[in-house]
Amino acid sequence: MSPLDTVLRDPDTPRITLDRPADYLHAQHTLRSWFFTTDHKRIALLYLASITGFFILGACAAGLVRLSLVVPNGQIFSNDTYNKLFTMHGVIMIWFFLIPSIPATFGNFLIPLMIGAKDLAFPRLNLLSWYVFMLGSLFTIVVLIVGGVDTGWTFYAPFSTTYSNTYVIPALVGVIIVGFSSILTGLNFVVTIHKMRCPGMTWFRMPIFVWTHYAVSLIFLLGTPVITLALMLLVMERAFHIGVFDPRLGGDPVLFEHLFWFYSHPAVYIMVLPGMGVVTELVAAFSQKRVFGYKFVAYASIGLASITFLVWGHHMFVNGQSQLASTVFSFLSFAVAVPSAVKVYNWTATIHKGTIRLDTPMLYAMGYIGLFVLGGVTGLFLATLAVDAHLHDTYFVVAHFHYIMVGGTMLAFLGGLHYWWPKFTGRMYPEAWGRVGAFLIFIGFNVTFFPQFILGYLGMPRRYHSYPPEFQLLNVLSSAGSTILAVGYFFPLGYLIWSLWFGKKAPANPWQAKGLEWTTSSPPPAHNFLRTPVVDYQPYDYANKTRDNG
Amino acid sequence: MSHDDWQVLWQHMRPAVRSFVLLLVLLGVNVTLGATLPFSWAYVVEGVVVACMVLTVLLVSMEVLREPPLMRLFAALGFFWVAIMFTMTLVDYLSR
Amino acid sequence: MADIGIAAEPVDLELAEQFTTKAQQREAATLGMWAWLVTELLLFAGLFLCALILRIQHPQSVTLVTTHLKFWIGATNTVVLICSSLTMSAAIVTSRLGWRRFMLGALLATASLGSLFLLLKGFEYYQDYDEHMMPFLADRSYVLAHDQASVLFLDVYYITTGLHGVHLITGISILLWLTWKASRPAFLQTHQNRIEIYGLYWHFIDLIWIIVFPVLYVLNR
Repeated sequence: MSPLDTVLRDPDTPRITLDRPADYLHAQHTLRSWFFTTDHKRIALLYLASITGFFILGACAAGLVRLSLVVPNGQIFSNDTYNKLFTMHGVIMIWFFLIPSIPATFGNFLIPLMIGAKDLAFPRLNLLSWYVFMLGSLFTIVVLIVGGVDTGWTFYAPFSTTYSNTYVIPALVGVIIVGFSSILTGLNFVVTIHKMRCPGMTWFRMPIFVWTHYAVSLIFLLGTPVITLALMLLVMERAFHIGVFDPRLGGDPVLFEHLFWFYSHPAVYIMVLPGMGVVTELVAAFSQKRVFGYKFVAYASIGLASITFLVWGHHMFVNGQSQLASTVFSFLSFAVAVPSAVKVYNWTATIHKGTIRLDTPMLYAMGYIGLFVLGGVTGLFLATLAVDAHLHDTYFVVAHFHYIMVGGTMLAFLGGLHYWWPKFTGRMYPEAWGRVGAFLIFIGFNVTFFPQFILGYLGMPRRYHSYPPEFQLLNVLSSAGSTILAVGYFFPLGYLIWSLWFGKKAPANPWQAKGLEWTTSSPPPAHNFLRTPVVDYQPYDYANKTRDNG
Repeated sequence: MSHDDWQVLWQHMRPAVRSFVLLLVLLGVNVTLGATLPFSWAYVVEGVVVACMVLTVLLVSMEVLREPPLMRLFAALGFFWVAIMFTMTLVDYLSR
Repeated sequence: MADIGIAAEPVDLELAEQFTTKAQQREAATLGMWAWLVTELLLFAGLFLCALILRIQHPQSVTLVTTHLKFWIGATNTVVLICSSLTMSAAIVTSRLGWRRFMLGALLATASLGSLFLLLKGFEYYQDYDEHMMPFLADRSYVLAHDQASVLFLDVYYITTGLHGVHLITGISILLWLTWKASRPAFLQTHQNRIEIYGLYWHFIDLIWIIVFPVLYVLNR
């Protein structure tokens, strides 16, 4: 083995620190160097800061929704305020937090590192996409807070085009603008993954994280333009009366739902797939084992991204879609379970007989697997035509997608944040606090959302601010759980910020993990690697013990 | 421009000029069909003609024929996804 | 310039710092543009889908509207865009040869043809206005008011042509900016592939119109 190989495999080889170039955080210090940076790592942190802010806003709206539901008769907020609150929660969380969450932060930071590139293929486009994102999201958020919108995040016609009296047009315009940011990010990732891999980095030597981000980028490219169009049609119809959905003229609002869900169902996988990528990395690193069935997991990512475009009709089983279409969509929805299950089985098989360490990221990963299974299985209930007729638009649906999006994506986001925090910032987070936070979030989440499965099964519809008194116990339980969840979120928010100044300095590879991102210093230098890496080994090369023995 | 320059230009422009002529001819067919509507299923022919025009632009004008397989894949990808969108939506509308 | 040969300038690419080779940079740019065009196609596909659904649900109303659209202006505009594709191809070919002045001429010709398209389109809209074919104008009567569903297809017509027009306006603006950039002597040595990348976009707007024309004007006329 050549000396070069040893260096690449062994991140802890003593290096002379003095002549090392300054890391990306300290290369420049001015505000200008942050807001006009083209470094993918700095742009990732810009995204991280902005989506954290948006998350807090969305969470506040959720807190107020839960507060309102403590009493059955809706005395706390008026009907209108309640509608605006859940719309604000949904719009912010989905469009401005969950969709950009993992791709725009971790993906931006890690894809070039994981494939051994100096940067994304189009660094300036990357910066532009952050500005576009901020423009659209801040605009819409101001509208949501100052004026308010009451359509829900789905903007269904004809309510959004004709009947709502709220500020629908500016909110739509903001969401459309944010869509361009998604497209540009996806485009950048696709080109980067195709064209920027370092020598020896073949497709099947890429980490699963990169595979899932490739799949997500395809969804960005293939889905987002259709939602852009659908929302644009709403704007045209509402603002200028140039529209196609007006049922008074013979138009078909279901057509809007087709266009909307053609993107918005795959959007679920925009939120879930990157989380799957994160969890795969976590599970491998904290079991110190190669990912079981690596190729199957890789193919399953692409499979999910493709099949997810064939199932959107399951949102419209009771909305006037034809029976044949419902049956076809129902059948295809079951098919999505296959690649999802492939992933879950492969994670458990990876953990099996591994050298397991239950550090904070692994706790989040374990939480993810459990909650994703629950969320996924309840999805199968909803994909069943007859059951859906009972459960459609009830709290069962709300609980189902929160298990996928919060129990799934949010936990993966937090797990990944802890796992790569040393790489992002060069500091370790306090482990004990991290574990307490992870447990609180897991418990708080389940107390909040499990009762909603029961509420939905009993027939409580979503998006109503009043409900029959017999549902109060479960609603109070759910609201109580949300306070635990909120406390849980404050833990990472507090100690991660604390660690920026007081955390222990992180070594290059604190987890003894494999992957190119751990072969460079923490935090990495401006162009990621001191010299271009050359890869001649498999991904998740944990069986190779050279570094432990050396 | 010298005679040689014209030669060079013609040599490089040949595919573009040919596709230009082909596009005009195909457009002529469609315009004639649209203007006269000679038979009720003219839309089938018109659809085929449009498909040919699209293929001509893609393959010759946009030089997909000369691109590596990856670019061809992306050129085809969008159309494939449009087909998915149309097929699945039509499953609904044609069976209402 | 009868017998003087054209002085070919050197054609090359300036390597950006994130790339290792020029071939990599060139392919990345081309792939990026193709990825963008995929999104453009899906954007317009949504409108084509709306048109198709309306043709299924309200076939008579759609036929009624198509007979009122300006078929011959649409056809002429298609010819204009096909011509602009040819001039764009000429610009690409000459940029490869390093014939900068010829290339600038071809780019300007392309921009002019694009503007001609917009002019004709504007005239067509004016005629539509004149013939009371604008149901969204509250203070103006609508000539097909007896057939309510016809409004829907007419609206698809306005949105589709409007969106295509927006793409053309953007395209012409970028084209003029690119021509200005390319008028500098060093351009072909540093950024020749921008002409090719832009050419893909222009051809694609043309391709979209080639689909729009039959979808709106020709089918079941």
